Amino acid sequence: MTTTTLQLLKCGLRFDPPTLVITYKDWKANKLRRRSMPLRSFTKHSNISSAIKELTENKRHARFVQLLPEAQLHRLLTIMKDKLCGMSLEVSIARNNDIDTLDPNEDLNKVDPETLTRKKLQMDSTFEKNRKKPGDPDFQYNVEIDFETELGRVETSGWDSGDGSDPEF
Amino acid sequence: MAQVAQPDYDKPDDSGEIRVKVICLGDSAVGKSKLVERFLMDGYKPQQLSTYALTLFNHKTEINGQKVSVDFWDTAGQERFNNMHPSYYHQAHACILVFDTTRKVTYKNLPQWLKELREYRPEIPCLCAANKIDVDTSVTKKTFNFAKKHNMPFYFVSASDGTNVVRLFRDAIKAAMKYKSNPTDIMDEIMQELENFDLDPGNSNGDSSTDKKSKSAIGSPATDDGVVIS
Ligand SMILES: Nc1nc2c(ncn2[C@@H]2O[C@H](COP(=O)(O)OP(=O)(O)O)[C@@H](O)[C@H]2O)c(=O)[nH]1
Ligand SMILES: [Mg+2]
Repeated sequence: MTTTTLQLLKCGLRFDPPTLVITYKDWKANKLRRRSMPLRSFTKHSNISSAIKELTENKRHARFVQLLPEAQLHRLLTIMKDKLCGMSLEVSIARNNDIDTLDPNEDLNKVDPETLTRKKLQMDSTFEKNRKKPGDPDFQYNVEIDFETELGRVETSGWDSGDGSDPEF
Repeated sequence: MAQVAQPDYDKPDDSGEIRVKVICLGDSAVGKSKLVERFLMDGYKPQQLSTYALTLFNHKTEINGQKVSVDFWDTAGQERFNNMHPSYYHQAHACILVFDTTRKVTYKNLPQWLKELREYRPEIPCLCAANKIDVDTSVTKKTFNFAKKHNMPFYFVSASDGTNVVRLFRDAIKAAMKYKSNPTDIMDEIMQELENFDLDPGNSNGDSSTDKKSKSAIGSPATDDGVVIS
């Protein structure tokens, strides 16, 4: 049986005991179903990426976990972890909204690895949308486009001046 | 992934093959890894350096009838600490310095990356890549002075739609080969080549859709019987 007959409708958490819950439509059986996946070994010290790996490798849960976008899984498990750390749901959701928002001025060298992973997952949606890959009708391995030379460009990016942080060396 | 020791790029080449090392530098998430992936497509064999968390990808090709074995080095996240382990720079023959055209801060950090590169490798050719032009192609009409100021060839690229990725990497390999055989003024030659480009504004295809932050549709927080929907 393939996962294609299953359609994710909702996903969420039950906190006690820590459980990942999804509702989905089983189109083959034409039924609405709910599935609970207990996060047995999950603690406030758990590493989110490892926990996700465990879930996706779990034979019983894999095909349901697969229905969830990876960014959503990170978000849900982080909310669970925040809860286990004693954070209020409100604060946790606000914090997670921030993580899932790309701020072009944020220096991503300075964020923790989990946040960086999630920022990259957000970037992936544009990356995938614009992507040309083998098999696409207009895919070419070598795409050369000659843009105007520096001298021919008329607009300035505005990125070279302004804040004086362009040290000479 | 295979675990290997750091190769010695100064050892004489057997089998008539030139062996070069090309490194990628730049901030977290500018697209260094995606660019290497796009250039190598599925023909890449990542190897993990046993001693340090660095990844290298070997690529064999032929440039002007000369067989060359290129190792592209990619970081495994050390750019987070704003500097790289010295072994990353050791014996490198060329560098691709990348920034993200959607994030000014990554452009502002270029001088620091270049400074660190020059501490270890004062002379190797360095090429500058402005990545993610697919997000808003109008950036290709704008001036970025960093590359010119430091006499580097400059490329508008997209790891997503492939624009100029092969050109960038081939030029980097050529520069690395030339540096290895004759460490002089290669950059001037590449600069000259680049200045000979035709001006063809009608050529900049692709849509300029802007980057909408798409959150998952499963949306807003709500509860039912103790279930939090996030
Ligand atoms: N739209 C777009 N996104 C890109 C492009 N290259 C990389 N990305 C996105 O940027 C994220 C970071 O890229 P990555 O190669 O991991 O960056 P690195 O940290 O410099 O190695 C990826 O997850 C992609 O979603 C590109 O050319 N266009
Ligand atoms: Mg990377």
